[in-house]
Amino acid sequence: MDCAVALTPQAADMPASPPPLLEVRDFSLRRGQAVVLDGVNLVLHPGETLGLIGESGAGKSTLALALIGLLRAPEVQLQGSLRFRGTELTQLREADYRRLRGNKIGLIFQDATAALNPCFTVGEQIAEPLKRHLGLSKWDRRDRAAALMQSVGIPEPRLRLDAYPHELSGGMQQRVMIAVALACNPELLLADEPTSALDVTIQAQIMELILDRVRELNSSAIFVLHDLALGAQVCDRIAVMYAGQIVEEGPSERVLAAPLHPYTRGLKSCVVELGSRMLEPIPGQVPPLNAMPAGCRFAPRCPKAKAICSEQRPLAEIHDGRQVSCWFID
Amino acid sequence: MSEAMNVAPLARGSQWKQRFLQPLLRQRSAMAGLAILAIYVVAAVCAPWLATHDPTAQDLMASLQGPSAAHWLGTDSYGQDLYSRLLYGAQLALIIGFASVALGLVVGVAIGLAAGLMGGRTEWVLMRIVDGLLAFPELILAMAFMAVLGLGTENVVYALALSFVGPFARMTRGDVLQVKNQPYIEAARLMGVGTAAVIWRHVLPNVVSPILVQAGMRISIAILLESGLSFLGIGVVPPTPDWGLMIAEGRAFITMAPWISGVPGVALAILLVALNLLGDGLRDAFDPTTQKDA
Amino acid sequence: MFQAVSAKLAQTLLVLLIVSAASFAFLKLAPGDPVSIMLGSDYSQASYDKLTHELGLDQPIVLQYGRWLADFVRGDWGTSYITNQDIFELAVLQALPVTLTLAALSLLIALVVGIPTGVLAALYRNSWIDVLATTLAIGGNAFPSFYLGIILIWLFGVDLGWFPVLGFVAPWEDFWQGLWHLALPSITLGAWYVGLIARITRSSLLEVLGQPYILAAKARGEPGWRVVWVHGMRNVLMPLVTVIGLQLGGMLRGAVMTEVVFALPGLGMMVTTAVLNREYIVVQAGIMLTGLLFVAVNLAVDQTYQFLDPRLRRR
Repeated sequence: MDCAVALTPQAADMPASPPPLLEVRDFSLRRGQAVVLDGVNLVLHPGETLGLIGESGAGKSTLALALIGLLRAPEVQLQGSLRFRGTELTQLREADYRRLRGNKIGLIFQDATAALNPCFTVGEQIAEPLKRHLGLSKWDRRDRAAALMQSVGIPEPRLRLDAYPHELSGGMQQRVMIAVALACNPELLLADEPTSALDVTIQAQIMELILDRVRELNSSAIFVLHDLALGAQVCDRIAVMYAGQIVEEGPSERVLAAPLHPYTRGLKSCVVELGSRMLEPIPGQVPPLNAMPAGCRFAPRCPKAKAICSEQRPLAEIHDGRQVSCWFID
Repeated sequence: MSEAMNVAPLARGSQWKQRFLQPLLRQRSAMAGLAILAIYVVAAVCAPWLATHDPTAQDLMASLQGPSAAHWLGTDSYGQDLYSRLLYGAQLALIIGFASVALGLVVGVAIGLAAGLMGGRTEWVLMRIVDGLLAFPELILAMAFMAVLGLGTENVVYALALSFVGPFARMTRGDVLQVKNQPYIEAARLMGVGTAAVIWRHVLPNVVSPILVQAGMRISIAILLESGLSFLGIGVVPPTPDWGLMIAEGRAFITMAPWISGVPGVALAILLVALNLLGDGLRDAFDPTTQKDA
Repeated sequence: MFQAVSAKLAQTLLVLLIVSAASFAFLKLAPGDPVSIMLGSDYSQASYDKLTHELGLDQPIVLQYGRWLADFVRGDWGTSYITNQDIFELAVLQALPVTLTLAALSLLIALVVGIPTGVLAALYRNSWIDVLATTLAIGGNAFPSFYLGIILIWLFGVDLGWFPVLGFVAPWEDFWQGLWHLALPSITLGAWYVGLIARITRSSLLEVLGQPYILAAKARGEPGWRVVWVHGMRNVLMPLVTVIGLQLGGMLRGAVMTEVVFALPGLGMMVTTAVLNREYIVVQAGIMLTGLLFVAVNLAVDQTYQFLDPRLRRR
């Protein structure tokens, strides 16, 4: 894509700004014949938060796992580039990648109950990256782990260090998960649907907690979410994914206020808001990975699709400070 | 087990094929096991025609001979023809294996049904007897029964059958208790169907498949135990053509004539492998989540 | 919690009572009249009645059982007619340690070989290692241990002369000699377990490695070996212990055969000889002892669960 450089408005408009923390260029991920991620472009600056929004199966979680290097060859085939702090991640040796994981890049899983090892105490699991990456001594690790638990709002952390995951509530487990991910003050935090496995009543608390911690540590964060409104509320910028592609990306307020891509519009109208008269579901389903349309992947479900849509892929265009991939941006 | 429980009470032919036969056919190793078992069964059934000698005819002039034209697999220290003994040994192993499991199954299922359906004091007493049987390892139990019953082929069958009663009884009772609480049993009772009819029409068909799987897997244990008892000298008595006896006999001549124990030993090992493959296949075909137990 | 423990205790006691009753019943069912056996061929009716009374055999069966049980608990298990040896000494002090040592060594060999084989088979699924491990598992599990023992004696004992063929040296008297003598028997008995352990390790590890917490451990920067051997295997221990416990019957089966093949003076040898000699009182001791062993191992497995799986621990 020739226009790739121009796709990053900040870089073009503000040459004085610091180099991006993360730069994803033309990134594709194939699993055998299936193209799971297709030509993804993203830029994340230090301190920025980005929401990856889309239906399940859009490739959001896959992108997160690829970023932290848990989906690599030979399991999957990668193309394009992932640059983190100037380092090309796709070419990184496994041993070097391991030094980033849990250290410079943290990952919060969707379901803490499943992501915490049932046979180890939460203290042991929080202390693990402290030992691995910071080389802290046993007692320093305990102190740090307790402090971390305190910082994610777990009461009486000293007592809970030796608790096993099943002895904590779901909300507490997710707090532990957050403490693990933030243990080494990562520069990039990936949060994969961090609240969707929790009760509605504590979802907001946990979201707030993650945002607070990220701001305090001055880290950048990528939130994988399926809720456009929530994403727009918590993130500086939003990238809407559909079937492995980013269809629209830009500042949250603008994307939410005036979505340009028909899919983003569809997503927005799915959001139930007080006072809204009706809910418009998007007709149809995401096509299976082995039967993706040749042109725009959204074309079969798009209300505005014309002949060209099913024949040729729309290239990303800069429009109103956003990148949008659609033939008919109005 | 649960898989079989949840489906409709009456298993129909097509359903049986779909649920059981097709998955079994898909497993290559189980099919290989079945093929080997078939060869053994043919050899056992046709032993009188395939054998070249009387399996118990002794010829001390021709003892400890290696394989030859006269004795295809050689002879033992009494000059008995190993090939013929091998064939009749297969017959004996399969008969004892199947008969003891069948007998243990019938008695065990009867006890399990009685305990599960009657409940109360009958159940308590029956299950304590079953506990007693299950409190000992099978071989020790079989050895104890052999000590009480005395040596001989028939007694081996009884001893093995008795040592298998426990597992079958416990399993049947468990399944019956599970089925008993199903709504359709209640419905059948409310409709005035008699107890015997309820057992026959509704309870048995639902407990039968896990029990048959268990039986299939036990046959290899039965054959192993049978040959083991005979090897120890507390099973079948000489000169009956029995693999365990043959291995015990060949033990003394292992350096001079390794084929004496080798012929029955290898035959036994192959049969057990085949039965295990088939048993695993049977289990997977019925329910992939059930774990093999002792 | 107290209720749970006492229920467990009551249940165990009941099983112990059943075990003892079964062992007692065995002696009552055994053919032959103990009194006439003890008196020999020539005796008068008066001396017969006298001995019957002395042995308490004219009393009701329940009383006889009670007396027998009391004697048993006191360690008064009677004397062998043939060797004149005290049976408690023979069974508990001489035979039991041999069987336990053999079982422990076999289990050790099986774990040391079986676990790495299972892990490799799981990590390189469908590779030649996996095929080899599966083949070994099925073959080792089915191969009759008494024939395997004979082959090992022939190959490594007689032909190569690496190991002693028969006999037993107690490792607690001469450690290295003892191990050397137990090498072939332990391999024979262990071979049966190796396959089972490899198989269960493989399937459990495959399941565990698919769990999110394994991915989470990787996301923390844990190296691959630690992910498998610490985070993965910690969770495999539970099914492993279950299977080891469940297969105790098979273990004892193999131990009896192995002891007879290698002429080890263990419980299996003791019971076999006693059955052949029709010394039912010794057989009874063997039955009772294996029954107790069974109960003890099941209890131990239960306790191990709580140790291995924090979710089962009571707080």
